[in-house]
Amino acid sequence: MLLLLILLLPLLGFVFLGLFGKRLREPLPGVVASALTGASFLLVVALSLGGGATWEIKDWLPGIPFSLVLDPLSSYMGLVVTGIGFLIHVYAIGYMHGDEGFSRFFAYLNLFIAMMMTLVLAGSYPVMFIGWEGVGLASFLLIGFWYTEKKNADSARKAFIVNRIGDLGFLLGMALLYSLFGTLSIGELREAIETSTVLPLALGTAGLLLFVGAVGKSAQVPLMVWLPDAMAGPTPVSALIHAATMVTAGVYLIARSSFLYANLQDVSYAIAVVGLLTAAYGALSALGQWDIKKIVAYSTISQLGYMFLAVGVGAYWIALFHVMTHAFYKALLFMASGSVIHALGGEQDVRKMGGLKKYLPRTHLHGLAGALSLAGFPLLAGFWSKDAIITATLAYPFGGTGFYLVGLAVAFLTAVYAMRWYVLVFLGEYKGSGQPHEAPPVMTVPNDVLALGAVFAGFLALPEPFWNLIEPYLAPALAHVEVHHMSLGLEWGLIALSAVVALAGLYLGYLAFTRWALPKWYLAFQTWSENAFYVDRVYNALIVTPLKELALALALFDGFLDTAYTALAGVSGWLGDRLGRLQTGYVRAYGALMVLGLVAVLVWGVLR
Amino acid sequence: MSAFDLIAGVLLIASALAAVTLRNAVHAGLALVGNFLVLAAVYFALEAQFLGWIQIIVYAGAVMVLFLFVIMLLFDARADLGPDPLPWMRPVGAALAAAFFLLLAYAFSALGPEHPLAVIKLAGGLPGQLGQLLYGPWLYAALLIAVLLFAATVAAVVLVQPGVRGARQKPQAAERDRELEEVDR
Amino acid sequence: MSYYLLLSALLFAIGLYGVLTRRSAILVFMSIELMLNAANLAFVAFARNSGSLEGQAMALVVIALAAAEVAVGLGIIVAVFRARSSTSVDDLAELRG
Repeated sequence: MLLLLILLLPLLGFVFLGLFGKRLREPLPGVVASALTGASFLLVVALSLGGGATWEIKDWLPGIPFSLVLDPLSSYMGLVVTGIGFLIHVYAIGYMHGDEGFSRFFAYLNLFIAMMMTLVLAGSYPVMFIGWEGVGLASFLLIGFWYTEKKNADSARKAFIVNRIGDLGFLLGMALLYSLFGTLSIGELREAIETSTVLPLALGTAGLLLFVGAVGKSAQVPLMVWLPDAMAGPTPVSALIHAATMVTAGVYLIARSSFLYANLQDVSYAIAVVGLLTAAYGALSALGQWDIKKIVAYSTISQLGYMFLAVGVGAYWIALFHVMTHAFYKALLFMASGSVIHALGGEQDVRKMGGLKKYLPRTHLHGLAGALSLAGFPLLAGFWSKDAIITATLAYPFGGTGFYLVGLAVAFLTAVYAMRWYVLVFLGEYKGSGQPHEAPPVMTVPNDVLALGAVFAGFLALPEPFWNLIEPYLAPALAHVEVHHMSLGLEWGLIALSAVVALAGLYLGYLAFTRWALPKWYLAFQTWSENAFYVDRVYNALIVTPLKELALALALFDGFLDTAYTALAGVSGWLGDRLGRLQTGYVRAYGALMVLGLVAVLVWGVLR
Repeated sequence: MSAFDLIAGVLLIASALAAVTLRNAVHAGLALVGNFLVLAAVYFALEAQFLGWIQIIVYAGAVMVLFLFVIMLLFDARADLGPDPLPWMRPVGAALAAAFFLLLAYAFSALGPEHPLAVIKLAGGLPGQLGQLLYGPWLYAALLIAVLLFAATVAAVVLVQPGVRGARQKPQAAERDRELEEVDR
Repeated sequence: MSYYLLLSALLFAIGLYGVLTRRSAILVFMSIELMLNAANLAFVAFARNSGSLEGQAMALVVIALAAAEVAVGLGIIVAVFRARSSTSVDDLAELRG
């Protein structure tokens, strides 16, 4: 029952704030929402320490139970979601101060937490799908929070529709699994698949379909187009949903289904390729962005690609490790950006920033910590997790050297653009026209906690011969994969190489964006990157515009149908009018009609 | 077919046509009286003497007289004046009547042969035999007719009581009143 | 006998024409009486044909019925005339659609 409370408390928050929030004065809705999220966090901690929990309603759908399960994997993810969620709730009390939709914002945030926890705690795929759809809904509501601006509403709709395409894959995958095994409970499916002799093609198709769902939700190529536009929402939303939690739901899905993917070599290979492609695309596009949040958004796309690379090669726990570190430093980066935007009164163009180091000292430290962790500065959290992924491409069964080399190259680019972000925002001279002022404590304190995480969280899972707390904790919930262990020397050599690459990237970035004049070929590339390689335009031309034309044509046809039906109805009206004229009122006419009827009857009678 | 049949037929048809076409209501009524009288003669020829007398007394003598009284009471002698609002009724009515006639003729053509003892059995339609039928098997019919006549008497008296005050006149009625006044002048 | 039956059918048809064509209520009534008599003629002809007195009894009933009907009908016409000052059937045209 306590398990159910984890998601009921934020859900109650949503209902309560939705109905009565308007009557509460600031900051009460924010405090209530944060408190409920914090309570969920404590419940997760308590139940994990108690050894896990399950909760079930049998036969919720015919043959399918509604089950929630707190096992190592879901407790790990749950801690990340509720912990970072709590910090972001507190931050948002300061960020959303003065907004007239204050209570509505927190209602939606609580809805998101509730749905995300449903997704995480799900013991069967339909329950996970409820959470899946629910977070999509919450994302829609929050991206389009300032819905009076058309751009925001459009972005929200874009996110939802692109997600939908992925959801179709998820549904089809579920259907296929159900038809193959007759159950959708994750525990039962795990047993069934590990002992089954089902045709690999069918299993592979199911795995591929579930992956399509993940592609949509986690903004992988080719469904990544919604994430940059999602920056139209308030910054806490970007931090929570589009960095730390919702977008990692796809990774979580594949990790949860690791027992399926561990035996599917081709599908896993495809996953890894898509992840790598996404990582490269994100990094290349981040280099040319001029909006402070869009840089971080494309960085998120890139890092998500890394996570999928990890699950693709079979390193499920490493992907989850990266989920956690990424949650810390990416949320930190977004919230620092938010503090900057808040300080400059809404300015988001980095060309109008610079030199904010002296105006916003705390935020500057936060930004530096986040950027360095993202870049993979040695010993920081991002360094350990990213390096673990890159090394895993050589050690894990589905990997290869190609993955290693490209992964390393993208890591270099990551360092470059991270440094660019930092340099353009905090160093140099202030080019804008506002009055920058530091953020209030309600916003800086959560960032302090996140900064601590961004720096130290990596120490939870160190390579051999040091301790690794995460891998054994998650092992019971994940599939067992054969790892080709490298020699210690090789492993640490590769680690050193990653460190060098990261430092080189940081140094290059520093030089390129503070000292050098940029060469022409780079400027040309920058325009391409700024437009994210025109993917949106291509999609519009190939898909969106033809569909719009089709919709217009069908609407026209529908208009014809309407006219046809109205005409048909008009006929009966016309007929009625005509027949009505028969009733002239003249008795003689009625008499004549009676005789006519009589004659007709007689004819029939006589001729029979 | 005897001469009597022929003459009777001609007279019946002629008087009937006169009754439905003559403009003056009194003339039409008189034509109808003639029709009834010829009909009574026909009844006599068809071995229905009692019925024939009743026809003369009741129909020609009471019913038609009542008609003529009412015509005169309501000054309705020149009844069918004025333009006909339904001019198409003449051909349509004629067609319907013709259709009806043809159908009935066809139906009646299935009449079987005459019963050889018919005349003897009918006994001339005199009250003796007819009475035995009426007060025997047809007793209930006779009693019900009595009730019916009683009801009709009461109804007729009630209907003609005065009491419809302030009834409005129709424009055609007012026009016709004027016309009548003119004719009177 | 069929001669008289045909005659009765013809008289009936003529009466029907009169009912549809005449505009004065009294004249319509007279046409109805014509129709009734045509029916009576048919009854008597049948009685003559079959030798059964039932036809004549029926005709007697019809005559009595007609008498009662005329009384009530003319009463109605008089009452309507008092209300509308008209006997034209076409003036009573309110029951329209």
